[in-house]
Amino acid sequence: MTSATVPEPSGPPRTLIVARGIGRTIVAVLGAIVIFGVFMKLKGADPISAYRDMWDSTFTSGDSLEQILVKATPLILAALAVTVPARAGLVNVGGEGQLVVGGIGAAAVVMWFGNSMPTGVVLVLMALFGAAAGALWAGIAALLRLGVHINEAVTTLLLNYVAVDLMLYLIYDPWKDLNGSGQPATPPLTSREQLPLIGNTTVSMGFLVAIAATALVWFTLTRTSWGFRLSVVGGNPEAARQAGLRVGVLLLSSMLVGGALAGLGGFTQLAGVEHKLRPGFLLTYGYIGFLASWLARHHPVRVALAATLLAAIAVGGDSLQLDSALPAASVNVLMALVLLGVFGWGARKKAVAA
Amino acid sequence: MRTRWMTLVVAIATLVTSIGLLTASATAVPAAQPGQGSKAVGFIFVGPKDDFGYNQAAYEGSQAVKKANPKLKILTAENVPEDDTAARVMEGMIDRGAKIIFATSYGHLDAALKVAEAHPDVVVVQQGNFIKGTIPPNAGTFFGTVYEPVYLAGIAAGLSTKSDKLGYVYAFPIPQTIDNINAFELGAQSVNPKVKTYTVNTSSWCDPAAQAEATRSLLGQGVDVVTQHQDCTSTVIKTTEAAGKMTVGYHADASKLAPKGWITGSEWSWGKLYTDIVKTALAGEFTGSQYNANYRVGYKTGNNPFVQSKFGSMVTAADKKQIAAAKAKISTDGSPFAGPVDDQDGKVIFAAGEIPTYAQIEALDVFVKGVVGDIPKS
Amino acid sequence: MNLGLEVMAGGVRGGASILYAGLGETVSERAGVVNLGIEGSMLCGALGAYAANAASGNPWIGALGGAAAGGALALIHAYFVLDRKSNQLATGLVVLFLALGVTSLFGAAYVDEIITPFEIWKVPLLSSIPWVGEIFFQADPLTYIVYFLVPITWWLLFRSRWGLLVRGAGERTEVLRTYGHRPQLVQYIAVVIGGVLAGIGGAQLSTAYANAWFENMVQGRGFIAVAVVIFAARQPFKVAAGSFLFGCALALSPALQARGVTINQFALNAIPYVATIVVLLLLGKRGASEAPEGLKKVFEMSPSS
Repeated sequence: MTSATVPEPSGPPRTLIVARGIGRTIVAVLGAIVIFGVFMKLKGADPISAYRDMWDSTFTSGDSLEQILVKATPLILAALAVTVPARAGLVNVGGEGQLVVGGIGAAAVVMWFGNSMPTGVVLVLMALFGAAAGALWAGIAALLRLGVHINEAVTTLLLNYVAVDLMLYLIYDPWKDLNGSGQPATPPLTSREQLPLIGNTTVSMGFLVAIAATALVWFTLTRTSWGFRLSVVGGNPEAARQAGLRVGVLLLSSMLVGGALAGLGGFTQLAGVEHKLRPGFLLTYGYIGFLASWLARHHPVRVALAATLLAAIAVGGDSLQLDSALPAASVNVLMALVLLGVFGWGARKKAVAA
Repeated sequence: MRTRWMTLVVAIATLVTSIGLLTASATAVPAAQPGQGSKAVGFIFVGPKDDFGYNQAAYEGSQAVKKANPKLKILTAENVPEDDTAARVMEGMIDRGAKIIFATSYGHLDAALKVAEAHPDVVVVQQGNFIKGTIPPNAGTFFGTVYEPVYLAGIAAGLSTKSDKLGYVYAFPIPQTIDNINAFELGAQSVNPKVKTYTVNTSSWCDPAAQAEATRSLLGQGVDVVTQHQDCTSTVIKTTEAAGKMTVGYHADASKLAPKGWITGSEWSWGKLYTDIVKTALAGEFTGSQYNANYRVGYKTGNNPFVQSKFGSMVTAADKKQIAAAKAKISTDGSPFAGPVDDQDGKVIFAAGEIPTYAQIEALDVFVKGVVGDIPKS
Repeated sequence: MNLGLEVMAGGVRGGASILYAGLGETVSERAGVVNLGIEGSMLCGALGAYAANAASGNPWIGALGGAAAGGALALIHAYFVLDRKSNQLATGLVVLFLALGVTSLFGAAYVDEIITPFEIWKVPLLSSIPWVGEIFFQADPLTYIVYFLVPITWWLLFRSRWGLLVRGAGERTEVLRTYGHRPQLVQYIAVVIGGVLAGIGGAQLSTAYANAWFENMVQGRGFIAVAVVIFAARQPFKVAAGSFLFGCALALSPALQARGVTINQFALNAIPYVATIVVLLLLGKRGASEAPEGLKKVFEMSPSS
């Protein structure tokens, strides 16, 4: 991504560069597939049939394709939650916690206001509260960064654990569903509080929320002055400050927006999929979203695609267990290998300044 | 004019034929019962199948099903979380031909019911929880009355302890755990009124470091018998044994880990029950069967899949007799929770002479008197 | 046993593994490389040590196995970050996922293995000192070793020539090159050392502290080590203090519960993390501003083009 003020160096045409990039990525992924094949062989599975089964069950089954979209919804939002702050040069590892807090915020609407509102209003409120909660959670880290210069990567990471403990406290005690089966969970959402499904698929409207968010983030980052200012701060905070930009406000707002996006993800998962807060809510989605954003180098549309790809790998992991009798953890290895491949070889090497 | 007539005739003819065909097919082939003739059976586990505890026992049950039905494909999935993901995995198994699914963890119930509703031709049985309200014709829950052998183990502990302090390491205050802890204390109390059970939770079903620290804290309070409700059990046992104290096991026979301190324990033996459920479903007899319910077996019904582990050498013959007598009483008209049972604040839970039902016991959400520890009160 | 005593003894027990990882991460970060995958190195170390112990019957061979496993994983991180120029934070996370997967896969067979754990050794004389003796001198050998590693690491980083190279690699790579050294080689070694130390930390966890192996048993201790290193401004002694404090916070929950104190289970669990944030707040502006140049670039990184 060249900045507007630096003249594009002469070289191969842009399409060739892009093609090379894609080609490299494909080769990297193929490399990962081969290495994973070796793993599978070590574990007693036949790589060829395992991959074929994985392909068949993941990409040719309507059910699986739907599952990919279902899984991708919160992942895309969690990834965008990393993208926006990254534009400003901030590292948001707190997706995990912001997702959970978003779920809490959305659930709070139901717990506090109950059934006293028409359908559309309930869902909008849940989304707003979810986003606000996520923004608040990210805001804590942002304020610590601005006020006391504590690196936000550390604070967002620590806050992840606190968020999970907060949720567990709520579902084991004040918000526990007393008419349920004794399992710690909030009471189930009534149908008015659930996001409607798209057609007769299992994919909820939450997916559309994720798409809309992607478009909105893309537009905001590339076409608004706020987005431009974020890039300036991210590129060179000192220069930005000297140019008169209010760096603190920009950094804070980028984190708030990031947190809000993740909070929205928590809302879509609660209202569209789970309908209850349970232990393990969206566990690891924050970290995988983080990886998706870095994988796509924080370009919003590519981030959404990367998140979808990672969702596909996760769904493909089921096939590894069910068709090839590989242990559940194998999918982590596959995902890691693919990511290493793309991180290592898939990208255009940026100009090395020592 | 003619064409319109012709069209009408053809249309009516088509309509009549179709209706004829439809009704013919409707009566010709009877609808299959849920699970009938299934080619595969699916099992989902909440943790890894090699945890030397809960999930391993369930896995071994699934392998017993395989042994009894060599032609049946057995699908297993580990580390299936207790949320909507479980529904997805079960659907995947159904896609691969499974018409009988076992959801083996407590928190899989919601997903299991969702799948059962979406697939009336699939039998979905869930291990450990309780379906409230109407039970769908193709679903059911099952469990052993785990707290019965735990009660007996409590008696053994109460007889063996010298400090009158017992310890319980647990994960979360779910009903199964609350019942276990209470039964353990009640059993120990029945032979040793002074005894107390100290509880420490680790907020994890298997976090060895947290388990080690919890055990040490209990031992530091003078506890000399330690037991647990965790998915993986070896750390607590090894830590207790290294400190020279006594152990009551859970989920698996770990007596070889505690050669000196092993009192007794309880362990799973799911094979028979799993196989029978599968047999019933395959034959199309699931609906209306005993499994199409909240099926609980215990000492009264005689086939509790949770059995008492063997005794350690420190348990005397007189002790064993006492325990056998207690077991006999439970098997007939008694219960570990037979009244009077009070809670920690002295309030009566079950009155004197009352014999609570399984449902009442599973609804307990407080600790009994003698248990030291705190859980959220609803 | 007195509550304070128990918590502090637990702090040493539980903090030792965090300290190992923290010292390792300190070396790595001083050379300018953040390794979030340190958690993965601990995990690999825990399994490596457990397996080597089970195979050989000797806890020291186990510890060596753990060290090697931790170092090997860190080598992967070093390669991708230093040679392939991929982002440090993201690569660290990926390496962690790799470790999670690999250790779950290959560790399943070891869950019910019995090993020869490190035994607690009471230091003669010292262990009888009231309080201090019980807290610090009734531990396993790996914990005693890490006591020495703290001043050794400090000395190596700040008083030895090698330490100068390491810090130079993190702060002034051009200077290093001018004098004919290869900063990248120094960085490689630093990262691998980081992994080796974290691996021994994992070994302490599985073969001394918990005497068990289970998938994902490190439970975030590696992440905590990274946080401790940052708030300790990459100073070994402060890292030791931070690790000890965090260990104490972790030990607080079971200690309070065993005494029948009625505090909500999840509030107790959150204490260590909230406390760390509060400490960071109180310590003020030290952390990021003292970071080596190379590290600053990592944390204030804009999206790469």
